[in-house]
Amino acid sequence: MKRKLIAAIGVAGMMVSIAACGSDSDKAKDGDKGTAGGNKTLTVWVMDGSAPQEWIDGINKEFEASHPGVKVKVETQQWTDIQTKVTTALSENTPPDVLEIGNTQTTGYAASGGLADLTGDKDKFGYANWSEGIKPSAELEGKLYAAPWWAANRAVIYDKAAFKKAGVTPPKTRAEWIEGLKKLKAADPKSQPIYLPGQSWYVFAGFLWDEGGDLATKDGDKWKGGLGTAEAASAINFYKELQSFSSAPKDKDEATPQQSTDIVPKGGVASWIGLGWEAGGAIDAIKKAGKTADFGYFPIPGKTADKPGSVFFGGSNLAIAERSQNKDLAKEWLALATSKKGMQSYGTAVKGGIVPNDPSAQVQPEAGSFAEAMVKSASSGRITPITEGWANVETEPNPIKGYMTKVLKGEDPKKAGEEADKVIAERLNQ
Amino acid sequence: MTVDSQGTASAAPQDAPGRAAGKSQTPPPPSGAKESLRPPRGRRSLPSGLLPYLLVTPALLSMAVLLLYPLIRNVILSFQGVNKREMIRRETPWVGFENYTKLLGDPDFWSVVVRSLVVTAVNVALVMLIGTLVGMLLNRLGKKMRLVLSLALMFAWAMPIVASVTVFRWLFDEQFGVANWVMRSIGFSGYEQHNWFETGFSTLVIVTILLVWGSIPFVALNMYAALTTVGTELYEAAKMDGASGWRTFWSVVFPNLKPFFMITTFLEIIWIFKAFTQVYAMNQGGPDRSSETLPVFAYIEGMGQQHYGLAAAISILTIVMLLVAMSFYFRLILKQEDEQ
Repeated sequence: MKRKLIAAIGVAGMMVSIAACGSDSDKAKDGDKGTAGGNKTLTVWVMDGSAPQEWIDGINKEFEASHPGVKVKVETQQWTDIQTKVTTALSENTPPDVLEIGNTQTTGYAASGGLADLTGDKDKFGYANWSEGIKPSAELEGKLYAAPWWAANRAVIYDKAAFKKAGVTPPKTRAEWIEGLKKLKAADPKSQPIYLPGQSWYVFAGFLWDEGGDLATKDGDKWKGGLGTAEAASAINFYKELQSFSSAPKDKDEATPQQSTDIVPKGGVASWIGLGWEAGGAIDAIKKAGKTADFGYFPIPGKTADKPGSVFFGGSNLAIAERSQNKDLAKEWLALATSKKGMQSYGTAVKGGIVPNDPSAQVQPEAGSFAEAMVKSASSGRITPITEGWANVETEPNPIKGYMTKVLKGEDPKKAGEEADKVIAERLNQ
Repeated sequence: MTVDSQGTASAAPQDAPGRAAGKSQTPPPPSGAKESLRPPRGRRSLPSGLLPYLLVTPALLSMAVLLLYPLIRNVILSFQGVNKREMIRRETPWVGFENYTKLLGDPDFWSVVVRSLVVTAVNVALVMLIGTLVGMLLNRLGKKMRLVLSLALMFAWAMPIVASVTVFRWLFDEQFGVANWVMRSIGFSGYEQHNWFETGFSTLVIVTILLVWGSIPFVALNMYAALTTVGTELYEAAKMDGASGWRTFWSVVFPNLKPFFMITTFLEIIWIFKAFTQVYAMNQGGPDRSSETLPVFAYIEGMGQQHYGLAAAISILTIVMLLVAMSFYFRLILKQEDEQ
């Protein structure tokens, strides 16, 4: 009898355990749509760090004033694992109406049919005024699936005091850059001339573009990776040289630990490569610690002085979910937010730290600001290959990151590159 | 990080085996000798008619809704080619055994399987060994120290998993970790910026420390509870015969507590084999996918790479493997039933 009991409990225990094996999807919470009495709620997903509070509040106030009975609900999302979350959200009956989607990921969602076709509303969004560099990421096969919102690129952030002590001025070429780092090392052997973790793959992509290579290229009707090439080998070798000045981990990216708030404020970092919001985050964190940051900024140097280094043009588009139940309202909100006026007030809110969809809406950045350095290299801005499968490459485990770590630890660039290319091709062509 | 939500989702089932086995102790584990002395009083008062069925209905219903239904859906999903695009379009194309054949022909899958089996074997052996020793220590300690040790065990058991993984991550952090500092302080060189998560192996070693640490309380406390059912006269008799401690354990304690050892071992096998949060949150299955165990593999293929059908197939294969392992256990139990 008792053995039977134990057996039964064993069965129960096993069933409970096995239940946990079934993959439990964390359903994205969809905004509760107030539909009663003509009151509508427009849900907008923005990414962490994208929309300054005062700007989005202003847009919503204006929108709600001209649309009585409509409330705009803004939900801030984190970048980590965002793709799964967006996929789940787009498959639901009540998805967020407007979503911010990274410019490297928009094509993938457009191809999956999750985003509303906005081709018919081009005029409403001021399509004609958008800059040529920013358009491609929002389009697929001649159709428009999103309104470009902003783009930004990385620049080098440096500690003015450390540079002054070592007698280093902002470099214009790669050779000068390395020379300066050597001087910094000599002046203060204890601190890092540059903080550069091994998996900062957007930085690497810039070096690769400088060499004339690309992360992936189309070969007939198939895509193939571009890391097993001679161009990639020279790019990663320069990255390796740069990284040798840093004691940052070779198997981490810049977000783990967060370089802007976890590393730089602790001191001992003379320079680092980051985005505008990262520089801002570091300044705040240093202020909180009771010190004052004195940062200078310069564009990532190119191979020659006449052209700054290529940079990844990171940015976001605003799209409308195909299953949105308030498509017309969503379009109007989108038109308002990405209008020239909306972009100008956005530019002001971020102190000119972004490249807007319409070049004439560019807010002049302050002298000596991050934005000033950033805008200088905007002309060499590039984006990742435009294809449906690209988003798959970026999801962790990202083969480009794995490739970088392997080479930095001494593996042959060609061999590691070819291995990564296999994964890239697999993900792009699936 | 989504790890948090994942953590809470899997935290509940994780301690379930603990609770289930805790229950198994409420009627003290049978010790052959005593059983036959006692009159079988249970049978007389058993309720008859519909009542017993009514009593088990809620449990069966909740199992059907919460376990059986999702399981069936999961089986169906494993025969469908559902990826990101199909998910958004709500298409469920039937692909037959394609997911399975793809997996079984994939060397990566097999290396994950082997890795999972090795991790499980090592962990269960360590947990059972250390847990049993701690349980016996509990039995021998005086009142005060026993309370202190039990409390320490309870705290380790009660620690939320994601929180404990976070603590471990910081302990072994490359730049600010205590582990590196300790190694330096006691005079080892090369721990200036030692990366404890450099390889899949080293990552899994740290995961093992965490898993063993997290599971010892369950085994130790159960062991202690079970030991209290072993009559002191047996120890005395053994002592009289001049048996060593080692001999006493194998001749008195072990035979008496055999059912306890069996159920605990099998519950631990399940618990370790399906451990997800600890492995995933530690290093996301990295570096370069080399610390992925089966549940993490399923998650990364499913939620990360958005191959939902393939991930379902992985989880089904995981269940099959567990069932095979468990079948040995049930055969043993049934055999013992027959013998009696």
